[in-house]
Amino acid sequence: MKLSITREKLQKGLGAVSATIPARTTLPVLSNILLRADGDSVQLCGTDLDISVQVTIDAEVETAGAVTVPAKKFSEITRELEDAPVHLTADQDQIRIECGRSKFKLYGLPEGEFPTFPEVDFSESWKMSAEALQELISHTSFAASTEESRPILNGVLWQLRPESTTMVATNGHRLALMTKDLHEAGAPEADLIVPPKALGQVERLFDGEEQLEIARSANHLAFRSERRAVFTRLIEGPYPNFDQVIPKDNDKQVVANRAGLESAIRRMAVVASDQTHRVRLLFEPGAVKFRVQTPDLGEAEDELAVDYDGESLEIGFNANYLLEVMRYMSDDDVKLSFKAPERAATLEPAEGDSDYLCLVMPLRLLD
Amino acid sequence: MTPRIQILPDHVANQIAAGEVVERPASVVKELVENALDAGASRIDVSLRNGGKTEIRVADDGCGMDREDALLALDRHATSKIRQAEDLARISSLGFRGEALPSIAAVSRFSLETASEDGVGTGVRVAGGRLQAADEIARRRGTTVTAAGLFGNVPARAKFLRSAAAETRAASEAVILLALCNLQVGFSLRSNDRELLSLGPATLRQRIGQIWGEEEASSLIDLDGPDGELGVTGLIQRPDEARTGRRRFTFANARPFVDRGLGRLVDEAYRTTVVPGLRPDYFLFLNLPAESMDVNVHPAKTEIRFRDRERVERMLVEAVRRRLARISSTPPLDRAPEPAAVVRPTAPAEAPRAAAAAGDGAPALVREGSTPDQFALFMTEAGGDEEPSEAGEIEPLAAQLRPELWQLHDSYILAATRRGLLIIDQHSAHERVLFEETMRRFRESGGEAQRLLFPLTLKLSPSEYSAAEELAQMLGRVGFEIEPFGDRTVIVRSSPNPHEHFDAERCFRDMIHELADGSPLVDAARNQHERIAKSLACKGAIKAGQSLSQDEMADLFDRLFATELPGHDVHGRPTIVRLTLEELARRFGRT
Ligand SMILES: Nc1ncnc2c1ncn2[C@@H]1O[C@H](COP(=O)(O)OP(=O)(O)OP(=O)(O)O)[C@@H](O)[C@H]1O
Ligand SMILES: [Mg+2]
Repeated sequence: MKLSITREKLQKGLGAVSATIPARTTLPVLSNILLRADGDSVQLCGTDLDISVQVTIDAEVETAGAVTVPAKKFSEITRELEDAPVHLTADQDQIRIECGRSKFKLYGLPEGEFPTFPEVDFSESWKMSAEALQELISHTSFAASTEESRPILNGVLWQLRPESTTMVATNGHRLALMTKDLHEAGAPEADLIVPPKALGQVERLFDGEEQLEIARSANHLAFRSERRAVFTRLIEGPYPNFDQVIPKDNDKQVVANRAGLESAIRRMAVVASDQTHRVRLLFEPGAVKFRVQTPDLGEAEDELAVDYDGESLEIGFNANYLLEVMRYMSDDDVKLSFKAPERAATLEPAEGDSDYLCLVMPLRLLD
Repeated sequence: MTPRIQILPDHVANQIAAGEVVERPASVVKELVENALDAGASRIDVSLRNGGKTEIRVADDGCGMDREDALLALDRHATSKIRQAEDLARISSLGFRGEALPSIAAVSRFSLETASEDGVGTGVRVAGGRLQAADEIARRRGTTVTAAGLFGNVPARAKFLRSAAAETRAASEAVILLALCNLQVGFSLRSNDRELLSLGPATLRQRIGQIWGEEEASSLIDLDGPDGELGVTGLIQRPDEARTGRRRFTFANARPFVDRGLGRLVDEAYRTTVVPGLRPDYFLFLNLPAESMDVNVHPAKTEIRFRDRERVERMLVEAVRRRLARISSTPPLDRAPEPAAVVRPTAPAEAPRAAAAAGDGAPALVREGSTPDQFALFMTEAGGDEEPSEAGEIEPLAAQLRPELWQLHDSYILAATRRGLLIIDQHSAHERVLFEETMRRFRESGGEAQRLLFPLTLKLSPSEYSAAEELAQMLGRVGFEIEPFGDRTVIVRSSPNPHEHFDAERCFRDMIHELADGSPLVDAARNQHERIAKSLACKGAIKAGQSLSQDEMADLFDRLFATELPGHDVHGRPTIVRLTLEELARRFGRT
């Protein structure tokens, strides 16, 4: 393998792939990046076995070939090089890096040791703009669980339907759900459960304006644009029926200024217990009163004028959960719906066509 | 013929009284040593032959008696220590009945040699309770009492004496008991001319070391001094050193006494810091006004009645708990780790450990001014106390100055302190935090339960199911709202949420299994609340292997040090290991 490449492109490519390289690994080749030169480009690949990332960059390829290179050192060297063409020459398992008068030699590992990427057939695929997909991801994947005993909830449910697509994530305490219209769906319906970490790579790697093709094999899902690709393992199993638990009969509704609500809860959270982060919200006509009492620490109270004309009702929440879901509400006002102190409450942007909904389970007050 | 009432001759009455005072050689030793102590002796030598059955001799250098007193001392109720009934209410001497000497003399061949000045003294001999001779003798100031052929004239009693070895052991225990509360006095004990004990004036810790070896001495920590005159002082065992609790001593105003109730309270105070089944040693000294206790309740003077017992109990428990709260049970790293559950046989006195472990007089390697800056993170007060802390001490923490924290192997939190490094076991630490928080939930109403979007439907074993039914209400108070559903299935509608990585299903399953089928941990609990709190703490705490963010570590650190007993988890295992700068310096060969 022999090729030349601009330093800038090489550095960008390495940056994109390095994020998948595991910090600690028992399989040494996973600390390496695979370089594969062919035609007029070079492919950089990295993987942690669950998620793989592939980037293609322009290069002047003299001899095709492949080699694996220690990712960390290669990136560090590239960052320090002067802005001049970089010449890479592979000689068996070694690679020579030359740029201006700087010369390096790194010892790699045989290409054959690098894990092969999953085979995914793109003949049947969904098409979507990266922007739309990234919006779905950022609004939902934070809510996925990290509990080990329910691995299904560790994933994000992605429902693909002929006209629309929905992403849902929950840890059983709060849930985030977003739906988007999809006009050129193409492929058949599917329910996929995707690890949030892979979705994080999708968020990071693709530019918003890129068009993405998404396809699956039995166990894997692949996202690709013209020059980049992410592969991930899918989580198996049926996702719990979330539709059934989203309350349809929450008859009490409050419309509140999002910033006002958020800062009041933030203030309350300072005095809330470190363990439960409990705040009480007392909804009264025209206002919501906030109250926190933490043994040994102290108390706090606050009040916010809101649009509410239902009966008085007090509900306890984990302040962190409320703050988390409000972060992604884009409107100035949010609509909070609830029914009873022990039932799920929902939050949505007050205006808009309501394609985003978050649900927060209350803290039942035991006193 | 009708029996006629007769006043018993003295020597018969004395024999009967002796039954209460003199049971065996050890009780003779006890009475004689007490008399020597009351006489202000600075040295007391005890010697036994054949376990004291053949001869007991106690010699002192105390105030002695003149001829008149020496003879009087052998009469019943002859005492120089109290004069009137009111004096009984504020006894500060060990003797007060005037019964010991006549009782001993009634059942042995007895001799008393005494002098109140160097020079001329008195020698008195009694046999079978009858005075044989009273002569002038030459001797130094002090008293020597010899009791030979104990119970020779009371064969019925002699039969109950045990082997010489057993009697020697009992006698030496009597000496030790008094030696522990009279530190300024020197003691020796010889048996058949072999020296068993030789104790010079010492501190309590030194004396314990002289008696049982360094191992025991260095397993103890000082109780804080009492506030003002009244209070509790002494030494208690570090929880991780607790074994069989064979050395448990209580003294009130330098008077030994036996009180099982107080022992239970001490165990109580240690609870959750020691492995169930193990018991700590202790040497506790109550300082009370003489009139607040009654020592005249037991013929052998081994018991005390406190006028305000509740106050004494409170004082004792508080002193122990306050002290335990301040320590990390963990020994310095240079000691071989020892599984806490192994009960160690009595170790012979061993070579003194590294000075750092000994607590007393450990040289402070890092002197004021020479503390390297990077270790100065823990300055509690500017230029504050620089006294080297005792091994195992947790430095007082200034909350606003939390040290920098690192996580090691996703299992330990490292914290730099002024005197070295704390290594905190994250699981153990969180166990302690959860346990106390859960107990508080039971005590105070309040608390909350996180409602679950997808209630857990769990199939249980028959025993688990009935435990769940029985404990449903209590489990609800810690956050698990459950509904028995029949067919061994429960629905869990809410759960506690003690940390971000909490796994409600796993915790519930593990807990209900433990609560249904028992475990050493929960079986040692005192009541259902405690069983549940222990189980929840153990099953619900942050696990080893869980990577924690800076905030989570800081949160855990703060909450650990806000608990009552930060040094131990609910199994009694240490939560903190301390690596001192001294220890580091030693390891790097810089001592
Ligand atoms: N070793 C001694 N040195 C000086 N005086 C002594 C000594 N032993 C006994 N006496 C005197 O003899 C008295 C009688 O002693 P005895 O032990 O019989 O009674 P006690 O000590 O007063 O009361 P108790 O029966 O409670 O021990 C004492 O009060 C004391 O005055
Ligand atoms: Mg006496």
